[in-house]
Amino acid sequence: MKIYIVIPAFNESSIIQDVIREIQKAGYEKIVVVDDGSADDTFSKAQELLPNTVFRHRLNRGKGAATKTGIEAAKVLGADIIVTLDGDGQHDPSDIVKLTAPIEFDNFDVVLGTRLLNPKGMPAHKILANKIGNFFTWYLYGLWVTDSQSGFRAYSRHAAEVINTKSDRYEYDSEVIREIRKYKLKYKEVPITVRYTEYSMGKIQKQDFLTGLKTLYKMIWGIIS
Amino acid sequence: MRIYEFVNQIHSKIQIGIKMKIHLYQIAVIIVSSLMIYQGLDRYFKKQKNQSFLKLLIRLIVWGGMIAIVIYPKASMSLAKIIGIEGNINAIILVGFILIFLIIFKLINAIEHLEQQISILTRKDSLEEIKK
Repeated sequence: MKIYIVIPAFNESSIIQDVIREIQKAGYEKIVVVDDGSADDTFSKAQELLPNTVFRHRLNRGKGAATKTGIEAAKVLGADIIVTLDGDGQHDPSDIVKLTAPIEFDNFDVVLGTRLLNPKGMPAHKILANKIGNFFTWYLYGLWVTDSQSGFRAYSRHAAEVINTKSDRYEYDSEVIREIRKYKLKYKEVPITVRYTEYSMGKIQKQDFLTGLKTLYKMIWGIIS
Repeated sequence: MRIYEFVNQIHSKIQIGIKMKIHLYQIAVIIVSSLMIYQGLDRYFKKQKNQSFLKLLIRLIVWGGMIAIVIYPKASMSLAKIIGIEGNINAIILVGFILIFLIIFKLINAIEHLEQQISILTRKDSLEEIKK
């Protein structure tokens, strides 16, 4: 089975090569990187290691838009399973197998990596923010999951074909949950470990309370508009 | 006799007109509203793009309503009665708020649509090589 790893990246030039190398070490050669209009040299750094599978958004369109571009690229390249993970190195590539195995052997459509089944080392405010996100995702989209904001997920070819998201930013992750319910996709949650390094924490801080409110507003707007 | 009565009627009407105080804001609102209605009619009858009968109707109601209220301020009392709010000014403010809300709703919708179009275009552009 062709497993493609999709990495949306925005201003990750200092770490993107380490992330790619680590995934390659874990045994995955088919990697797609989408540079989401970075101001730094994320694109060229990624291209040094992946000459043919790095794509660039000319404009910054958000994590959701970049992930969708990566999934589209993986589909064109003939992927059977698509795994998405963040470009800041917070996800451990050794967890990829946990996400792909249920699709490969048990016919699941979507596997959601969840930080809250094993929240060891996760800051308390992140746990709280996540639970609020889960509540609103359940309230607005009708499906309860333990980590609605996780970017570490795996999709079968079928799921990648039917899931049709329109959100560009962080509300993308919740929108996928809505699509799972809408298309009655067989899904599973598996615990993942998250490495809260100084670098990834710096990135996470950017997703502050205000961003959370914006995400919520976008989710509500998506329903009423 | 009939001519005499007619002249008398005209005369009394002119006197009423003279007695009516016309404020500057009334003239300004009438001019602006008339221009907006003219523009709407012109666009509609020239069948410009994105012009529909609904848009023309909304334009006529909004700007026509402003002319009506400026010329006959008592008309706002009827509006207040229809809405069920005591006080004509409150009714006008409420209608104004609703209209502004609708305009903002429409604007945000248009912006969201544009954002999505930009993302689609950006995606197509980035995947151009692979799809060749």
